[in-house]
Amino acid sequence: MLSVFILAPFAGSLLAIFFPPDQRGATAWFAGAIALLCFLVAAGLYPFVTSGGVLRYDLAWLPELGLNFTLRMDGFAWLFTVLVTAIGVLVVLYARYYMAAEDPVPRFLALFLAFMGSMLGVVLSGNLILLAVFWELTSIVSFLLIGYWHHNAHARDGARMALTMTGTGGLCMLVGLLLMGRIVGSYDLDVVLTSGDLIRNSPLYMPVLILILLGALTKSAQFPFHFWLPHAMSAPTPVSAYLHSATMVKAGVFLLARLWPVMAGTEAWFWTVGLAGLSTLLLGAYFAIFQQDLKGLLAYSTISHLGLITVLLSLGSPLAAVAAVFHIVNHATFKASLFMAAGIIDHETGTRDMRKLGGLIRYMPGTAVLAMVASAAMAGVPLLNGFISKEMFFAEAIETHQANILDTMTPYGATLAGMFAVTYSLRFIHSVFYGKAPEDLPKVPHEPPRWMRAPIEFLVLACLVVGIIPAITIGPFLHTAVVAILGASTPQYSLAVWHGWNLPLIMSFVALAGGVGLYFLMRNYLATSIEGPPIFRLLHGQRIFERVLVTLSWKWARSLEQRLGTRRLQPQMRFLVFIAIAAAALPLLLSHYEMPPLLVRSIDPAFALLWAVGIACAIGAALLAKFHRLAALVLLGGAGLTTCLTFVWLSAPDLAVTQLLVEIVTTVLILLGLRWLPKRIEDTQESELLSLQVRFRRLRDFLLAITAGGGVALIAYTMMTRPLPETIASYFLERAYKEGGGTNVVNVILVDFRGFDTLGEIGVLAIVALTVFALLLRFRPQADSLEAPEQQRVQNAFDDDHPDRNEGDSVAEYLFVPSVIMRWMFPVIGMLAAYLFLRGHDLPGGGFAAGIAMSIGFILQYMSGGTRWVEERLRIHPLRWMSIGLLVAAATGIGSWLFGYPFLTSHAQYATLPIVGKFPLASALFFDLGVFSLVLGATVLILIALAHQSIRAPRAHARAMRSGKEAS
Amino acid sequence: MTNWMHHLLILPILIPLMVGAAMIPIDERNRMMKGVMGFVSTLALFVLSMVLMRIASVDGAAAGSGVYQLGNWPAPFGIVLVLDRLSALMLCLTSGLALAAQAYSIARWHTAGHHFHSLFQLLIAGLNGSFLTGDLFNLFVFFEMMLAASYGLLLHGSGPLRVKAGLHYVAINLAASSLFLIGVSLIYGATGTLNMADLSMKLATLSPDDRQMVEVGAGVLGVAFLVKAGMWPLSFWLPTAYSAATPPVAAVFAILTKVGIYVILRLSLLVFGASAGASAGFGQPILLAGGLLTIAFGAIGVLASQAMGRLAAYSVLVSSGTLLAAIGLGHPGMIAGALFYLVSSTLTIAAFFLLIELVERGRDAGADVLAVTMEAYGDADEDEEEEVVGAAIPGTMAILGLCFCLCALLLSGLPPLSGFVAKFAILGGLFGLSGTEAARAISTADWTYVTLLIISGLAAMIAMNRVGIRTFWASIENTVPRVVVIEITPVIVLLATCIFLSVQAGPAMRYMQATADSLFDPTSYTERVLMAPRAGG
Repeated sequence: MLSVFILAPFAGSLLAIFFPPDQRGATAWFAGAIALLCFLVAAGLYPFVTSGGVLRYDLAWLPELGLNFTLRMDGFAWLFTVLVTAIGVLVVLYARYYMAAEDPVPRFLALFLAFMGSMLGVVLSGNLILLAVFWELTSIVSFLLIGYWHHNAHARDGARMALTMTGTGGLCMLVGLLLMGRIVGSYDLDVVLTSGDLIRNSPLYMPVLILILLGALTKSAQFPFHFWLPHAMSAPTPVSAYLHSATMVKAGVFLLARLWPVMAGTEAWFWTVGLAGLSTLLLGAYFAIFQQDLKGLLAYSTISHLGLITVLLSLGSPLAAVAAVFHIVNHATFKASLFMAAGIIDHETGTRDMRKLGGLIRYMPGTAVLAMVASAAMAGVPLLNGFISKEMFFAEAIETHQANILDTMTPYGATLAGMFAVTYSLRFIHSVFYGKAPEDLPKVPHEPPRWMRAPIEFLVLACLVVGIIPAITIGPFLHTAVVAILGASTPQYSLAVWHGWNLPLIMSFVALAGGVGLYFLMRNYLATSIEGPPIFRLLHGQRIFERVLVTLSWKWARSLEQRLGTRRLQPQMRFLVFIAIAAAALPLLLSHYEMPPLLVRSIDPAFALLWAVGIACAIGAALLAKFHRLAALVLLGGAGLTTCLTFVWLSAPDLAVTQLLVEIVTTVLILLGLRWLPKRIEDTQESELLSLQVRFRRLRDFLLAITAGGGVALIAYTMMTRPLPETIASYFLERAYKEGGGTNVVNVILVDFRGFDTLGEIGVLAIVALTVFALLLRFRPQADSLEAPEQQRVQNAFDDDHPDRNEGDSVAEYLFVPSVIMRWMFPVIGMLAAYLFLRGHDLPGGGFAAGIAMSIGFILQYMSGGTRWVEERLRIHPLRWMSIGLLVAAATGIGSWLFGYPFLTSHAQYATLPIVGKFPLASALFFDLGVFSLVLGATVLILIALAHQSIRAPRAHARAMRSGKEAS
Repeated sequence: MTNWMHHLLILPILIPLMVGAAMIPIDERNRMMKGVMGFVSTLALFVLSMVLMRIASVDGAAAGSGVYQLGNWPAPFGIVLVLDRLSALMLCLTSGLALAAQAYSIARWHTAGHHFHSLFQLLIAGLNGSFLTGDLFNLFVFFEMMLAASYGLLLHGSGPLRVKAGLHYVAINLAASSLFLIGVSLIYGATGTLNMADLSMKLATLSPDDRQMVEVGAGVLGVAFLVKAGMWPLSFWLPTAYSAATPPVAAVFAILTKVGIYVILRLSLLVFGASAGASAGFGQPILLAGGLLTIAFGAIGVLASQAMGRLAAYSVLVSSGTLLAAIGLGHPGMIAGALFYLVSSTLTIAAFFLLIELVERGRDAGADVLAVTMEAYGDADEDEEEEVVGAAIPGTMAILGLCFCLCALLLSGLPPLSGFVAKFAILGGLFGLSGTEAARAISTADWTYVTLLIISGLAAMIAMNRVGIRTFWASIENTVPRVVVIEITPVIVLLATCIFLSVQAGPAMRYMQATADSLFDPTSYTERVLMAPRAGG
């Protein structure tokens, strides 16, 4: 049954969205019906919660972590449920008339219902975490409601401030509740409520208290977090009436009351809660006097009344708790009606500024009477409900709860706040309804529609009835609620208007008389003063908040982001190298690394010379990389060749072959690419301008590079001087021929033992080729690399000078003999590739080497004949070759499924071909064929991507020239 | 073992690889056909990964099951693929994200360059391979496949911004890859094995000298993974690269950082778990400190972001930091929550990346800067007339706005969505309930973590709030973007998955808990891998 309270509003909210925007009436009926349904169900459940009864509804959500969808209704929750739903019904009725016909009311009411559901969730949660869930939901939905008129800057700012404050508080509260769950061992409210001693005596009590209070105090707009509430008044008035007086802001005090049995009574509680409450009570009331906006006055008065409730809860005495609960109900009734009245005034006159208003009793006597009764209740005038709870408050304030200065101050503070309350209540009535008639109002005021006033009438009636005969009307319900909180320690109390002549009554009279006097003293000042109390108005809460937020979340964040991060590549690389060095050095330092002894023995001078050349090449390449790309590239090739020769020297022919071929192809491809790089920026006077900073940076980078290189060398040396551990290599050596069918272990590893790696690597090659191709398709060279190379220009100039030659002849004839040789090399290289391919399984070679070798054949053709010439004669479909290569390799692997073996299981036997004779034919050969095809395709694709630039470039050049001419 | 079901394990790699290969020669004019092929492939992968997840959760512990010996060579000699709950989870997440991104790309983004769908499929193959492999060098191969494809995809669409960011990305990742190689070779040199399970067995019995080298190798290897995971200060490339990528690419990139996280989680618990002798817990303090710094840096970046793309990219960092620090803290109770967080945050960030472009379509980039300046120096329109009639929100904007709200809730970890559940699960696991074994004393590191987690959520809330208000409520120009159904559907589906995860948090968390438990018990993994029988033998 309890799930109705959650399901109905949220389901209704979802449905309400789909109402057409102009259906104000229908949507209002719908929303009202849902609120009414909830109210009726709540009313029907009353018998179950009297005398300490508890209703529960459980649904597993995250049972392992102790989070369940548990709803729990006891007397206190019931009272709040009724409050939320009953006022909900009234506010929907009010909103029906308040909102303009053009307003997209379905959105408003959908949010409204969602809010009601969230609020009911807070009230009914039987699990601390679930409570936090609904708590944040109320913050979020209220954000959307405050910002409902989002085209107003005030609404947006107010909404944001409300969400930031209450959302932050909610997050803190969540941590607090988690800690509380840790102390208790469960998040279940029933368990928590019986573990008061455990919580109060826990070492974590202080953090729990502070974190939960942060949640509760921000939500209930307690000092110093109060300033968001007045700005939330940019919301439509029904929202203010519902959220910011009757329900949402009550969530904070609700939580304090809910956890009162397990947290109150300690000194820390008394001080923190009491100090916040008392200062809010006084400041709120004081500020309220000086407001010029009707809703602003009500907002500060709400803050003050919430402070009053907080003070009551801080005292830790059961009687004070009773008074707190009672005042929650009373405040909700009179404040909701006052907000609605303020809304009517705004609606019918077009302004809420008290300086402009006056004498409205002549135009709207009905509303005036209602507002007067309600504000009398707010001021605590006898025979109204506000009076009774205020009397109880005064009585409690006098009592001594803890012997300290705060407790002593409370009665004086209470009386003073009561006086202020009378003053602002009086001001509300007097400045709006009395005095001279208003001039130049935006609208001519008149009474609102009949049903717009009905909710106020109902609420004011409640104020009166409760105020006159409290014991019969509210008495039993209040008792039910109080028992739910206090249980066995429920005190004896009497709800009555008359308790005889006692100190609280005297305080009330002092407050009344003082308040009236104060109003008449300040009246003239207030009639013209600007908004806000003197001095304090300079402290503009919102401005401070915005400034702090902007400073923290924007200015500081930005400068920190720039300090802590970078968008440049070089510093990132530096970090990477530095951290890599640290990561390698740290384990060595921690475990007392000892360098192995440096042994020099039997160094072959030829080998040493080879390495000297290689090292010189590498250093030269690094030195020249910035200014002489071509030279650097050539030197890099030298270093590569050294590696290749080293492989030969150390008897690794497979690696040597592959290295050599790869070296050739990459060098040629990069050479082709160099053509399109932008020209060097001439930097003439660099040596003189080297500042100290630059020198330092270079030195640091140099050291970093030395450390990195030296470190790798050191580690490699250490590694290689160690005895070889038992590795998987011996397994490979043993079985390469027996089970892999090949005598070349390297090749068997590549296509069989670890063929899957090869499949992956050829995939990588395919991707790289595609990427280069796709990128270069969109590549447009820089303007300065568009013109023909210098050599061609010289040759063309030579042609121009000689009348017997046509332009381009020299270019065509240049290297004529080598190019003929290169053309003729094609079949030879093809044969070499086939040879490398077929012998692969037993001797150095294989699909990869063969593919690269074949691609060299194509590169030579392109170099000698030019792109057009080659493509007119040969069918070049690298994309197709790549695709087929990958598919063949994969299909070979799949083939073994047919025989019941896993992917890539190979099978080997010998086959005989005429002329060639017997040769090994393993299934791995097909795999290798795939590798061959893909490598060839990928290399040729990259080649084409570069080669086609030269076809495109002349066109682009012509275009650039043309546009250059037009511009000049 | 002629059980055909057994071969399912390799399909997550083979299908995208072959489909990607088959698409290469198809002409770019038939993009639609490629798109449909790719979509069908990814859909098949999604179904497949669901099946695998089911298999992994049903009989994950049985010896020999879920281990695939490539070429029928037994571990540690050949390469094995290993399916367990964690890898199945990652497969599922990958294919789900890929499905959304791919559907989204078909609307318009795949026309921005060539070979989009091939590269996309190969990226998935690389990702799936990284998650499935049980071999360190094979991991390198699939890492390379994934990275190479990501280079291509990041450059997809070209333009100076993308090319610049893309080339930075390529440079950094190439450097990281060389570190990867150095690390792997050191580990191989010291232990003589590449198989992760075998490595885990051998580590405890190594001589101190060899252990030293393994640690050096692992350290260097770790740097490579941390670059990928985006740990501060190795993460500066990430915001620029991710915000420059085309939306579908950025969405699927949301999982790339998680590959780094995945490997770190896997290796630190498998190899450097409790059984690693003197090396147990290797690198954890670094992960913790780095993770915390990353959360802080990410949160600062989130706040400092003007453009939504950078905001989303910094959220990636926050997510990474949260996970790294959780691994660094190493409480068993937290890992399940962290895994839930991983799934939820990845889905959210992907959805957000897809959404951003839809929202910003047709907006003037200068408007953002103006809005921020206005906020910083006071609103110009402070005294504007209050208009008390609400403005209707156009349908498209309403849907986009709703999606944006959901993203904001998820990113900032506000209830009731999975972002909150994840945060609760992490914090709940951290604090524990008394009486359960999980309750320990709360250390300073724990407090720092909790504080940063909350602050990062707050930062996301403030930033999303600011961005959302100026986009949906205070937009200077009133253009409504044109959005095709196929573009918004993936966003909605991803967000709906998050909602589903929130509702079904119980079963989901049970899966995560079982995953975490098995991670903390590496012997079942190693036994499964090393005892697996060969086919036909």
